[in-house]
Amino acid sequence: MSATTEVKPSNQHHQRPPFYRDATVVKWLFQVGALALVIFALWFLSSQARDNLSARNISTGFDFLSVDPGINLSEGIDTRPATGGRALWVGMVNTIRLAAAGIFFATIIGLFIGLARLSNNWVVNKLGSIFVETLRNIPLLVQILLYGSILANLGDLQFDSGWDNWIIWSNKGLSVPRVFIADGFYQWAVFMIIGAFAARWAYNRRSRLHDETGENTYPWIGSLAVLTVFAIIGWFIHPIFGWVGNIFGFISDGISKIPEEALQFLLSAIAIFVAANWIRGFLRSRRTPGGAARLTDDDKFRVIFAGVGAGIAIFAIFIVWPGLSSWIINSSSDLFEVLENKFGDGRTGGPFGADRPEVIKPGKFEKYGPSGLTMSLGFAAVFFGIVLYTAAFIAEVVRGGILAVPKGQIEAANSLGMRRSAALRTVILPQALRVIMPPLGNQYLNLTKNTSLAIAVGFSDLVQVGQTVGNQTGKNLSVFAIWMLFYLACSLTISVAVNFFNVRLRIVER
Amino acid sequence: MSTEAANTNRADMIVCENVDKWYGDFQALKDVSATIAEQEVVVVLGPSGSGKSTLIRCINRLEAHQQGTIIVDGVELTNDLRNIEKIRSEVGMVFQQFNLFPHLSVIDNVTLAPKWVRKMPKAAAEKKAEELLEMVGIPEQAEKYPGQLSGGQQQRVAIARALAMEPRIMLFDEPTSALDPEMIKEVLDVMKDLAHGGMTMMVVTHEMGFAREVADRIIFMESGEIVEVGTPEHFFTNPTEDRTKLFLSQIL
Amino acid sequence: MSEMTSIKTGKRPEEVSRSPSEWIRQNLFSNIPNTILTIIFGIFTLYAIRGILGFVLSGERRWEAVATNMRLLMAQGYPANQFVRVWFTLGCLMVLTGLSLAIWSGKGRLSVKKISNWVMSTGLGLAVFAALAPISASSRLGWVIAGALLIAGGLGLWQRAKNKTTETLHTIPTVPFSFGFLGILVLSLWVVPFGHYAFTNGELVAETGRTVAMSTKLPFTVMWLLLVGTYCLTNLVRESLPIAQAKACLVGLWLLSPFILNWIVLRDPDFDYGHIVSTDIPLAALFIFVGGGILFMLAKPSLGEIGRLTAIALLIFGVFNWVAAFFGWYPMLQKVRISFVLLALAALIAPNFAADRKTRLKFVTGWAILILISHWLITAVNSPSTLELQGPTYLGGFSLTLFVAILTLLLSFPLGVLLALGRTSSMPIARVLCTGYIESIRGVPLITILFFFSNILPLFLPQGMEIAELAAIVTGYTLFSAAYLAENVRGGLQSVMRGQYEAADAIGLTTSQRTGFIVLPQALRVSIPPLVGQAIGVFKETSLVAIIGAYDILRIANNVVPAQTEFLGVKREGLLLVSVIYFIVAFSMSKYSQRLEERVGLGER
Repeated sequence: MSATTEVKPSNQHHQRPPFYRDATVVKWLFQVGALALVIFALWFLSSQARDNLSARNISTGFDFLSVDPGINLSEGIDTRPATGGRALWVGMVNTIRLAAAGIFFATIIGLFIGLARLSNNWVVNKLGSIFVETLRNIPLLVQILLYGSILANLGDLQFDSGWDNWIIWSNKGLSVPRVFIADGFYQWAVFMIIGAFAARWAYNRRSRLHDETGENTYPWIGSLAVLTVFAIIGWFIHPIFGWVGNIFGFISDGISKIPEEALQFLLSAIAIFVAANWIRGFLRSRRTPGGAARLTDDDKFRVIFAGVGAGIAIFAIFIVWPGLSSWIINSSSDLFEVLENKFGDGRTGGPFGADRPEVIKPGKFEKYGPSGLTMSLGFAAVFFGIVLYTAAFIAEVVRGGILAVPKGQIEAANSLGMRRSAALRTVILPQALRVIMPPLGNQYLNLTKNTSLAIAVGFSDLVQVGQTVGNQTGKNLSVFAIWMLFYLACSLTISVAVNFFNVRLRIVER
Repeated sequence: MSTEAANTNRADMIVCENVDKWYGDFQALKDVSATIAEQEVVVVLGPSGSGKSTLIRCINRLEAHQQGTIIVDGVELTNDLRNIEKIRSEVGMVFQQFNLFPHLSVIDNVTLAPKWVRKMPKAAAEKKAEELLEMVGIPEQAEKYPGQLSGGQQQRVAIARALAMEPRIMLFDEPTSALDPEMIKEVLDVMKDLAHGGMTMMVVTHEMGFAREVADRIIFMESGEIVEVGTPEHFFTNPTEDRTKLFLSQIL
Repeated sequence: MSEMTSIKTGKRPEEVSRSPSEWIRQNLFSNIPNTILTIIFGIFTLYAIRGILGFVLSGERRWEAVATNMRLLMAQGYPANQFVRVWFTLGCLMVLTGLSLAIWSGKGRLSVKKISNWVMSTGLGLAVFAALAPISASSRLGWVIAGALLIAGGLGLWQRAKNKTTETLHTIPTVPFSFGFLGILVLSLWVVPFGHYAFTNGELVAETGRTVAMSTKLPFTVMWLLLVGTYCLTNLVRESLPIAQAKACLVGLWLLSPFILNWIVLRDPDFDYGHIVSTDIPLAALFIFVGGGILFMLAKPSLGEIGRLTAIALLIFGVFNWVAAFFGWYPMLQKVRISFVLLALAALIAPNFAADRKTRLKFVTGWAILILISHWLITAVNSPSTLELQGPTYLGGFSLTLFVAILTLLLSFPLGVLLALGRTSSMPIARVLCTGYIESIRGVPLITILFFFSNILPLFLPQGMEIAELAAIVTGYTLFSAAYLAENVRGGLQSVMRGQYEAADAIGLTTSQRTGFIVLPQALRVSIPPLVGQAIGVFKETSLVAIIGAYDILRIANNVVPAQTEFLGVKREGLLLVSVIYFIVAFSMSKYSQRLEERVGLGER
């Protein structure tokens, strides 16, 4: 084919234009120019930072993670952390605790307020509107400070503060009854996992029976019954799973024996593998039946980018941050060690316990006893702040989602003679959920990020601890990197979870 | 493959030689060669997905072909920015979905390109636009917005917009497919006037009446290939290829 | 808006107005569960109102802390002898508002029924307040009488409106109504001398002539007169004005006003006139004439790609100047560096104006105006302020909050649009860079970004170069909000059909023309409602600057006032006031955005 075209006279036109008029080259040059500018700016800024830091006698790096920061934290799993890393870890746990509790309660309250806003009852409807409009138009920080100052003005803690040792409040915080995980919980959880498989099996069997016979076999009730039976039996015989702890112990030992270099090579290999795999798949997708891949400039760029990305990752693993691999090894070994202790043998208590709060007076002053679930002043202020603020937004999401289901759907369900509850369950809810999920996930993300406002009331979340550690050691830059990684990881986790549900919902839709 | 030129004495406006185009795995154009002379009206027929639209979109460089040569009015379509600019302002295009700019009034739609690409003074551009709207039969709609017009009127505005650049070639990509039946005629009438006025036109359409009446030549495409080229009489009465016969039997 | 349409259509049979008893039955007691709900929540509501009123009116509340510190909360330590500048700023904004209302001819009308509804609900609110508030019996009676009067007035209005048939009597224009309402508010300052307390011999005494109402009644009256006066005057001459040009002028003035009002009026720069005559004016003239000449040449239609190459060369030179500045290779006035970059950018868009002489001259005139304004602003910013300050900045309290919010919005808008364009472009590197930037910024909380910019940014700057705290905050906040803005704009960009791009290409528009004339206008129109929502978010989150130590209204209410010896620990009152202020601004903005959303949804053109 090309042989014939070459003899045609028109091909004399076929010449490359000067580079500044070639669309591809111009596009390339522009992008490479932009990239060069960005890289130059980053390089320049980092060199400045290096100069400035050395001028102030501060070294960069993450060595502060293993040095005693000499700080006290207001609360957390460890109030006098021995190392900087431990301090940040305490902050992370506090943040996660706050975010998880916040997400749980904000969802429930938001759901109710959202439904209230759809109510036919004028009073309920208006109350819902007032709640939403007030709370979402006042900045969260102002709300947190306001709740904090209101709590701080409660009376001093005394033996008769609150309601008869059910709820106790004072300017030291709030204490409520708590249900807690007791010693036997982890073995019981193993039992329940097996129970879940059994319940799943029961569900499948019953729905198959329903398909075959057409009779109503209530698969949900059946599987729930199985799970309940397992829960009850497990309550008494869970210690038989004490050996699970040893498995985690072996894993922990195994991980701690891995040499640092091996992990570095492994990580690099993963990076190379991912990049190579991606490039291979990409080239295959561009392959024409004619044989060789036909790449546009965009495609070439993508391939180069994937390669450069892998290179940068390897560079980071070996040179920029060699401590990373040992950190991964140590922390994952620690993790399994913790699991070993949790699942370990010799735990004979029940899976759960419950207790009411109490006030004790060990010395001169009254304080909350360890039996109740006690929220410190800071925690309570941020907690109420993020829960109420996010609930107002979630209420709008819920209301919007339900209103988004077309009226025709309800009419269609009615015309089929479906009962109201069945129509709600099988027609309205799946469609509403599909609209609700993505913005709901966004609200969860916002809530998680908003926990950082805890610094305003002195609750030891990651940002507050990081700020203290950073000021103490001068490693603000490294702390900032850890913040970024942590919050990005949280965002990623939440979006993965939300996406998972979304995919499930799409299956429901089919 | 028949490559006879209908009018050898006229200059070639569009020359396609061995053009290939792929979308990923899918080959949309296979070794397409065609020549269109000045003032010639060529209708491209074929079943959907046969590459008709892709061909005329390549001629306007809305899509880039990957192999072969396309020369429009003596200018080869390459990556050369200057050539692309030149071709775009010499080739007018009318789309199936009109693609009028909804946020601009009719008159602004028509004058936008003359003002900013041809660098025409505003007054001159507006005068020209009024003439064109007169020509397509809707001079009274100049101040309205596209959303306020019927489909047929919108398509006629789209033709006026393309003509405002004083193109030497007009490409029509199924201009009547998105129209209600009663509006098709008003658009086809404008196109006929244009053809009789000596415009070089390349039309992808399913309007067989239009093809028979106006076309100088008909190109029949299937699965990305040019199957048959000929005059309307030859094509409708005595096609040579089996695939053409099959196509005609299905639609006539 | 919706009120309007329902009245205008008119054909629809008038909704049968239900009697109050019927309304109550349908909405509150339609069936048993509904009745139970009503009773439970009704009691709950009464308790809640009583609790809130009890809290607000309790003798322990020290509202005088707020009243005494009102100036501190609004403008922090702005020198008292120069305070007229603050009023002047507000006056300028009033004049602009009046002009805009007249030019854009606010033709909205309010139905009398709606107004009577408002009056009646206010009366009802007063009655509830009188019944539940912990106040003395005599004042309780007073409030009840006031409430009853309002309800009666509202009912009277309703009856009158019911009997009227034509639209003009059913409704009254919104703008004069709001003016009247504002007038009543201003008048109340003259009648009720609230809010003034001073300490005399350790006791709180209301001192005539120094209350909040007393000291602000005259300025606020002037503000009101300015607003109404400008509106009426402009309305008189409206017919003879070129409306399109006037609108363009007003938009320009609104965009410029934050810069001019802040750096010129409020900051009061001490211009060094000798330097201005010897350096600044010649420099500006040089750029206007030489730069204008270059641009005039570059806009020549026959130039082709030489123009593009020249523009790129200019851009490289402009960027190089900054690089050289960081390394200290050669000295150059900052103003000159900025001007060169501006020149390069103007040169890049010059080919779009390549047309007849008139268009090219217009382009060059635009360049001259740009240089004049930017040089004037740079000179003003670089001149020292004449204000004698106690605090770190002349802005503080609510003025700081507004300044940070407005500046951030203005600066992050163009950046956000660029990022959105980058993220949706077909260029992979640009896309990856923009996506990476947007996603990583959106992944972290604002407070960490603000910490970064207030603590860590100084580390990145060359030695000897400093950045003011406020500038660091605004920079960080701008970079943060641009990422969110970009996502809103991206939503709009994705709603633009592919056919629009193709049509623009087919008629020969360049990429920048296509973006500017076709894509962005459509995309931005779609993204207006989310952008207003974003603006509300930016305004609310401005409160975070309090954490990193800027004296905004929140920090003053939370940290400064409770530290005063007279008001030790008085925090809740100030925080409640701050909540109310934020609420009023954010709530009215969100109502506005809802109306916009309806309008965008309706008028799809």
